[in-house]
Amino acid sequence: MKIVVAYKWAADPQEATVAADGQVDFSRAKSAVSDYDAVAITVARHLGDTHGADVVGLTVGGPEVATGLATKAALSRGLDALMVVADPALTAAGSTGTAQALATALAGVDDIAVLITGDSSVDVGAKLVPAVVGGLLGWPVLTEVTAVAIEPGALVVERAVSGGTEQLRIDGPAVLAVATDAATVKAPGMKDVLAAAKKPVQQLPADPVVADGTLRSTARLSGPARRGIQISTDDPAAAAAELVSALRADGVLIGGQQ
Amino acid sequence: MSAEPDFDVIVVGAGVAGCITAYQLAGRGLSVALIDRGETPGAKNLSGGVLYTHPLQQVFPDFLQTAPIERRISRNQICFLNQDSSVAIDYRDARLDRDGTAVSVLRGRLDPWLAERCEDAGVLVMPGVRVDSLLIEDGRVVGVVAGEDELRARVTVAADGVNSFLARDAGLRPAPQPHQLAVGVKAVVQLPSDIIEARFGVDALEGAAIAVVGDCTRGVGGGGFIYTNQGSISVGVVLRLDDLTAKGLRSTEVFDGFLDHPYTERLLRGGELLEYGCHLVAEGGQAMVGELVHHGLVIVGDAAGMTINTGLTVRGMDLAAGAAIAAAVGVAEAIETGDVTAAGLAGYPKALAAGFVGQDLQTYARAPKFLENPRMYESYGPLLADALHQVFGLDGSARKPLRRVAMDALKGSGIGVGTIVKDAWQGARAL
Amino acid sequence: MNLIIVAGTASVANLVTTAAQLDGETLAVVVGSRAVAERIATSGVDKVIWFGEPGDRPLEAFAPAVAQAATAARPQVVLGGRRPAERVLLGAAAAALRAPALIDVKEVTSQAGTVMVTHGVNGGIAVTTREFSGPVALMVDGGGVAPVQGAAPIEETPAATLPMQVTAVQVTAVTEVDLAAAPRVVGAGRGLRAREDLSIIEALAAALEAELACTRPLAEGLDWLPRDRYLGVSGQHIAPRLYVAVGVSGQLQHLAGVRSAETIVAINSDPKAPVLAEADYALVGDLYELVPAITAALEQP
Ligand SMILES: Cc1cc2nc3c(=O)[nH]c(=O)nc-3n(C[C@H](O)[C@H](O)[C@H](O)COP(=O)(O)OP(=O)(O)OC[C@H]3O[C@@H](n4cnc5c(N)ncnc54)[C@H](O)[C@@H]3O)c2cc1C
Ligand SMILES: Cc1cc2nc3c(=O)[nH]c(=O)nc-3n(C[C@H](O)[C@H](O)[C@H](O)COP(=O)(O)OP(=O)(O)OC[C@H]3O[C@@H](n4cnc5c(N)ncnc54)[C@H](O)[C@@H]3O)c2cc1C
Ligand SMILES: Nc1ncnc2c1ncn2[C@@H]1O[C@H](COP(=O)(O)O)[C@@H](O)[C@H]1O
Repeated sequence: MKIVVAYKWAADPQEATVAADGQVDFSRAKSAVSDYDAVAITVARHLGDTHGADVVGLTVGGPEVATGLATKAALSRGLDALMVVADPALTAAGSTGTAQALATALAGVDDIAVLITGDSSVDVGAKLVPAVVGGLLGWPVLTEVTAVAIEPGALVVERAVSGGTEQLRIDGPAVLAVATDAATVKAPGMKDVLAAAKKPVQQLPADPVVADGTLRSTARLSGPARRGIQISTDDPAAAAAELVSALRADGVLIGGQQ
Repeated sequence: MSAEPDFDVIVVGAGVAGCITAYQLAGRGLSVALIDRGETPGAKNLSGGVLYTHPLQQVFPDFLQTAPIERRISRNQICFLNQDSSVAIDYRDARLDRDGTAVSVLRGRLDPWLAERCEDAGVLVMPGVRVDSLLIEDGRVVGVVAGEDELRARVTVAADGVNSFLARDAGLRPAPQPHQLAVGVKAVVQLPSDIIEARFGVDALEGAAIAVVGDCTRGVGGGGFIYTNQGSISVGVVLRLDDLTAKGLRSTEVFDGFLDHPYTERLLRGGELLEYGCHLVAEGGQAMVGELVHHGLVIVGDAAGMTINTGLTVRGMDLAAGAAIAAAVGVAEAIETGDVTAAGLAGYPKALAAGFVGQDLQTYARAPKFLENPRMYESYGPLLADALHQVFGLDGSARKPLRRVAMDALKGSGIGVGTIVKDAWQGARAL
Repeated sequence: MNLIIVAGTASVANLVTTAAQLDGETLAVVVGSRAVAERIATSGVDKVIWFGEPGDRPLEAFAPAVAQAATAARPQVVLGGRRPAERVLLGAAAAALRAPALIDVKEVTSQAGTVMVTHGVNGGIAVTTREFSGPVALMVDGGGVAPVQGAAPIEETPAATLPMQVTAVQVTAVTEVDLAAAPRVVGAGRGLRAREDLSIIEALAAALEAELACTRPLAEGLDWLPRDRYLGVSGQHIAPRLYVAVGVSGQLQHLAGVRSAETIVAINSDPKAPVLAEADYALVGDLYELVPAITAALEQP
């Protein structure tokens, strides 16, 4: 029995820069295992330990996802082995293209009990890849998952829903996107990194995937222009009074014109 | 009875010093682990950014072609900055460009490149691990401790930067004195490369380095720098810590003043702030270096205080690289002979003293003392400007002979001729 | 033909209006109760397909039904909302059609077989416009319930569903909030030191007659507030007249949800916090001093 966990090697857009023409430059941003995917790996590891199953990582992306630095970073979080699909054509793959590459890789693996994913990737943040992978494989998909248990032929899942939680029973394999607080992530230690360097990494070839349309233009985000007024806070009461009268003057307080 | 080591060598710190030591040792067939607390090597490292390349070219013959270099520095300026005037010395030389003597770099790019080179050479790179302490048994360093893990090595290399808590906490190095430290504040400002080239008068791929003295530090011992990168500018100040504290100023305050100065503002205008950070700089020069080897341990780079501040350039990266080359020689010898005591590792200090690092540290040994002289930061800039104003500030009044001009400016400055002669003499000896 | 996906709620007015502006008819596929299907039928769409009562099946179990309907309809544009089940079903349709899927959609137009989509990328730091010749799946904010107009036929189609079943439900918080409709919102961040301290934010919200919201860590991880109160890329998107961010650093994932506010006030003790640069009024200081002072100032006539 195998537990597969999909993680993305990606950079936080917080560190990217946007040129005047809207081109996003990630060259200064440092890639890492996408924040919430570390949670997914941790959940998968616990599940693997409970059921004596192998935990296999799976990632797809540009050539950089196959570098030693990248694969060790993922493996040292507790995976037993890794499958990597690295191809320049996947660098800019969208949610559907990424999901296609993941589904193709999964089709070649026997005896998968469950595919665990993160809640959202740090760079795209679409919360869509698990849904599309599930659609392509014909597997059930659930998101916001807080707990998983494997029973013979079934998965018992708990997930957060608006206003509470739900327990569900699923027959057969499924795609489960875990909630961001489904597990507490521990930073890998030296022994983990040491062990990671010895774990197997399997590189798979990339198939062509659907393109994300034709790019016509890019632009910088143009939201409402902000006024950037600094209110001195040396005296909190005076600062408060100044703020309140400014907001009154703007007409955004109660009784202001709607 | 101690356990079998996990590695021949563990290097702590993947800065310039650590990477090059690890790379050289792996190249000699040793098993090496390179540990850095940053999630990505270089993530937290900060440098002004002018790198003298000769030691790197020695290690990587293709350094100029393959490393992430921003620009080749072909134009050097020294600028005395006053409240509303500036006087600059401008040196440009095609030889500098041709030889790639000095290049501008961004550590966020250079360090990952170095770490990648290490990976390729077979080093086990461990990012995201903070080493808590050295593992010491019977007074010998036998490895490192991080969290719950211990890792053992025949030799440990402390390349953990200016604070070097590792060697310090183990009682192997004294804490640096405040006057041996400076604080550097640096920002990277994005600008299109054609604008950079026009503003700094350089061609594509060529760059300028400006050392700024005077008003940029509000009288605090230290200086400012402005370096051109490919599509950005590195700008910063380096401030002597003791002087900063004595004057009751905050480093960011001083830095903001420098950024707002019309001289700087004109060069950075329209740019966008990409990053901003503070870092300590070792300033003690040779006096700070001290013991470099202990049983099972060598100390390289900033961790050993190897920085030279001439007032006009801060050099640390090239010295770190030079020290790494020497350390690799000493460590490899020690492991080969099976003697990793301080005596067995003595090949490192010996190679260091014979190479350019030892010689340069010797040459500049007096620099820190000289740079403590406040006249460097307060008086000489205005003096030069006053003299030049007499020459160029033609307003219809009768001109005085240049000799008189100089003397008048001197009188106005309140510094005696004897003092200037003394400063000049000390400067010449120190630098 | 364009398709909108409805999952459990009829609050999809934005999908209906977006689809109405496109070339072609609008088909709504409805997963959920008969009542939802009936309400959608009177929202201005051209046709409704309903798969029957879900019973103890989660809405996600209807993914193959939605996929089948999408394959049969061959739509040019598929629209779905941002709620969890809506995402899963939108993904199923995208998979069935091998259609690219985009989020943060700001504008869509379609004409003679081409669709132009303008959408935010990377948490909304930039915007791109793309052209599609084939089908495309787009995620759009659901919005409220559309006004009643027309009466489309409802076709009840027996559904192929996945083998999944809800076995138990625990209700913890009952009140659902509609942050999107609030004219004023106060957002709390991790600048708060303890859960009890939420009371000072609540007092400010009360004085402003504002809804209380938060950043993601307060809702997920700390569990101080329910999940439907956090704002951002993966949380709620709001466009109130006033948003007050208290002890919020302003990471772009949070800002993406509040950028459309008319006026933003930020209170943060760190002068370098990114939120201050995105504010109309920036107050650098301790929220524990400033917030009570502002509450007091609001209570003065
Ligand atoms: C503002 C400023 C301007 C400067 N300008 C220049 C210049 O223009 N040219 C020049 O040559 N030099 C310059 N320097 C000096 C230069 O940056 C340093 O001398 C050089 O970085 C030293 O390299 P290093 O490898 O010894 O240390 P560092 O580059 O500091 O590397 C130390 C590494 O150790 C890691 N580390 C520390 N502690 C631990 C731990 N416990 N566990 C794991 N990892 C750890 C750190 O993450 C870091 O990666 C400047 C410095 C400053 C601050
Ligand atoms: C894929 C992805 C999606 C995400 N989606 C979302 C999302 O939808 N919404 C969201 O909110 N986040 C989201 N996040 C998380 C986001 O990146 C940030 O981590 C989060 O918004 C930070 O929350 P915060 O501002 O409350 O906390 P922090 O970043 O910890 O900031 C706390 C702030 O409080 C200030 N402070 C501390 N003490 C005081 C005091 N006494 N007075 C005043 N100020 C004080 C501090 O200076 C600091 O700026 C997402 C992250 C990822 C990776
Ligand atoms: N390139 C990728 N490789 C592997 N898994 C991915 C990739 N992109 C996204 N995922 C998975 O899908 C989840 C949601 O991503 P997204 O839809 O981009 O928000 C992530 O948390 C990952 O688990």
